[in-house]
Amino acid sequence: MLIENNPDQNFENFPEIKEEKFVKEKMAKKPLFIFVFIFAFVLIAFLGLAIFMSFNQKNLTPKTENQPTPTPTIEIKEEITSPSPYATDAAILKKEEEIKDLDKRLQETDLKENKLNPPTLDWEIKFEKN
Amino acid sequence: MKKFCPNKIIIVLFLLSFFFLSPQKSHSEEKIFDADKAFQDYLYNTNLYRESHSEYIVARESYLKYQTLTSKNAALEKTRTMLKNQDEVVKTYLTTLRLKLAEVSGITNYGQNVLYLRVDDEIPWFKKHQESLNSAGTLEDLISLGEDGKEQYQETEILAYQTLGAILTSKQSVLYEEITQRIKELKEKIGEIRAKGDKNTSLAERWLLEAENRLTRSQEKQFNSQQLLAQMKTNDFNKNESYNKAQFAIEESHQYLKEANSYLKEVIRELKNAD
Repeated sequence: MLIENNPDQNFENFPEIKEEKFVKEKMAKKPLFIFVFIFAFVLIAFLGLAIFMSFNQKNLTPKTENQPTPTPTIEIKEEITSPSPYATDAAILKKEEEIKDLDKRLQETDLKENKLNPPTLDWEIKFEKN
Repeated sequence: MKKFCPNKIIIVLFLLSFFFLSPQKSHSEEKIFDADKAFQDYLYNTNLYRESHSEYIVARESYLKYQTLTSKNAALEKTRTMLKNQDEVVKTYLTTLRLKLAEVSGITNYGQNVLYLRVDDEIPWFKKHQESLNSAGTLEDLISLGEDGKEQYQETEILAYQTLGAILTSKQSVLYEEITQRIKELKEKIGEIRAKGDKNTSLAERWLLEAENRLTRSQEKQFNSQQLLAQMKTNDFNKNESYNKAQFAIEESHQYLKEANSYLKEVIRELKNAD
């Protein structure tokens, strides 16, 4: 320990402070810090981008599937002037509903499936002048 | 105080990056491979085929005009690509048909399995044919392989039309079965009403009879269509015409089903109205 105004103090043999060593160590850590900083920055940027993309994708994805515009149909309400005892019969009403549903499906059924016709292909390879 | 350790932070950040940036499956990837997806594949391959066919035509014309080695090599490659794409079109088309067939319910298990087997035999043929195109070294080889494909495609077309016919018929069969069931139920109901004697059922019974007649005619047309499809031959010049006839018969059969159902509506109307 150094004591102020100590006549015995030997300034000649005073141990050298290794300043150079400290500077070197600091210099060695600096690029590491820069690397960590850049890496963290890139990671955050990627995360931000990923979140942004996922939001965008959600907005782009249609919530409902495309459905064809329903064809307007004129529904003639059938009026029963003199009802029979079966006009309100549950079984008859149920059958009426089933038949109506069947009618709808009969109208909607596609019995062409034109898009599934076999493809027209050119198998005839010719290398002769016509 | 604990010493700051950047190495640990790097490891943590690295692991975190893997956690957050790992590829996530999009909605389309999660979607199962069904007939619609197969159809999209088929359309994509058809477009590729069309493009390669145009390139083949250009390369062929160029070779016929200049007769150089370069143009010959170009023609060879373009023809090979076109034929490969053609095989891919057939493969994806048959896959679409197979998946479409799996979606319909009105076909018997036996009928469905027979068609599955035939389609499953057909797809590998085109796969093999596609592979054999790689070993073709001359234009003559490709011409010969093209001939093989043409011959096989005659069979494929028949299979395709028959499968399509089965798909349409099965849709029709489901509706036919349902109408048959409705007729049966209404018959029972009319029987009950007749037994009670509080309503005259003769008109309703007549409508029901008419519905049954239409059902019989519908089935006749369906058989007619099946026969037309079964009679198709590989050497038929215009298979499309035969198929159109069969398809028209199915439409007629469908029309009879519509009529049968309209008669059932009359039965209900008659039962709801007083005598």
